[in-house]
Amino acid sequence: MREVGILGIGIHPWGKFRSKTYVDLGVHATQEALKDAGLEWTDIQSMACGCYVWGGMAGLLAGHQLAYVMGETGIPIINIYNACATSTAALREAWLMVASGQCDVALAVGLDKSPEGFLPALGDDPHDADYVRWRMAGVSNPGYWGLEARRRMFEYGTTEEDLALIKVKSSKAGALNPNARYRKVYTTADVLKSPMVCDPLRLFEICATSDGAAAVIVASMDRVRQHTSKPVKIAGISVSSSKFGDPAVRVLTLSSPVTATAPYMSESVIAAQMVYEQAGIGPEDVDIVELPDNSSWHELVYMENMGICKRGEAEQLVRNGDTEIGGRIPVCPSGGAASFGEAVAAQGLLQVHENVVQLRGQAGPRQVQGAKVAISQVYGMQGNNSAVLLTN
Amino acid sequence: MDLIRQIPAVEGFFTWPSEQPALIASHCVSCGSYAFPAFSTCINPHCPDKKVEQVTLSRKGKLWTYTIHHYQPPPPFISPEPFKPYGIGVVELPEGIKVLGMLTTIDPDALQVGADMELVVEALNTDAEGTAYLTWKFAPVKGVDHA
Repeated sequence: MREVGILGIGIHPWGKFRSKTYVDLGVHATQEALKDAGLEWTDIQSMACGCYVWGGMAGLLAGHQLAYVMGETGIPIINIYNACATSTAALREAWLMVASGQCDVALAVGLDKSPEGFLPALGDDPHDADYVRWRMAGVSNPGYWGLEARRRMFEYGTTEEDLALIKVKSSKAGALNPNARYRKVYTTADVLKSPMVCDPLRLFEICATSDGAAAVIVASMDRVRQHTSKPVKIAGISVSSSKFGDPAVRVLTLSSPVTATAPYMSESVIAAQMVYEQAGIGPEDVDIVELPDNSSWHELVYMENMGICKRGEAEQLVRNGDTEIGGRIPVCPSGGAASFGEAVAAQGLLQVHENVVQLRGQAGPRQVQGAKVAISQVYGMQGNNSAVLLTN
Repeated sequence: MDLIRQIPAVEGFFTWPSEQPALIASHCVSCGSYAFPAFSTCINPHCPDKKVEQVTLSRKGKLWTYTIHHYQPPPPFISPEPFKPYGIGVVELPEGIKVLGMLTTIDPDALQVGADMELVVEALNTDAEGTAYLTWKFAPVKGVDHA
């Protein structure tokens, strides 16, 4: 397998864009990535692309929709749907194409538009697990997260202030990011005054649903080194799933084992282990963490899933300020989903975009000084996950 | 409006009609694994025989965690008008499986991790023809010693 690096990155800012289609957002991100890579669209030899369910029937072929507007060139286009891990699964496809020598330049795109509020079930099929969890148990995604957050409070003594502090930290980073949807800096008091949604999680501690798109062009490291004096390498990239015996109360499910015979949130633990093994480095070497902060609970548990600290220690890092920009191990210096909201199928490449900007030393006021190793991981319902480890 | 009939909102999750309704699960006679809802095969990838039987689960357990849902969900959940916050819990059953379901209360004094809970069946909503649509819920056990 060849070494593969990042030739170009592009992003459409996150927000709500009622007058734009997901294809419009994807075109913007793709054009920006091409410019960054110094390429023309006709130089792209392969593409992987993904959109979430709100793209409808046409969205299942989002890559082909995008190519139609960019100009059809007959290249292989793979459409990927892996929930929140969609766009990093697309990046893995692009990476495989170049690493295996199938082509020299490949593009990955995540593009998405979302409805407002809770993401509802599609249709009324009583055999659909998504329909059942809503109809029979009234449990939204934040409902599941509230259940886990409450249990965490019981096990580790997490406080409401800890949960609020995470939003405060992310809001300070997001305020420095022109691509973020929310750029207001919050105080702990502001967050604790926001309405309770799924106890103990409050409105400002749960990410919004957003629209957005990001694109990444990959090529062999030789070519990346020729193109730029600040090359970024894909040192590890993984797609993973859960193991039987995982005790987590996973979105869409109605039961789980009491006694763990697999790691808690095994899909996440496995995805992180895979990229560390590929890169031959460990979590102690990581300088930047982008994780799926869909809620404040996520930020705590994913730090642990990714090996940044031991179980039950994440709160202390937050209290110490270790996870701020300038702290010992900055977490979500992009501002995270707390500042962007979640555009499901694009979120993974938003994280990769941020990590590339950071490793190139181009993050301006939110730059993590001297960063050499950056990891990102997405959330994925039904035991679906992906991680990317980048180095410079 | 007269209540004409009471039926599960979705069939197959609990025994009904029943004086003492219970959740329906699959149990593997080979490896002992439980699954709720029930499946036609054992979900343990390492199970040698994968012979499952349909069983009913214990009706009592301990509250493992809970949340109060303060915002009105979208359909297909049907909320009473005006909307009232409701509880959701995960209850640990003696079989070694934790099951998620709505709670009958949001009273913070009744909702403590480890509290004794029991299964009940309650209506989610009733339509214009008088049909009540039922689901399983967990209710705090009051003054019952079931050690």
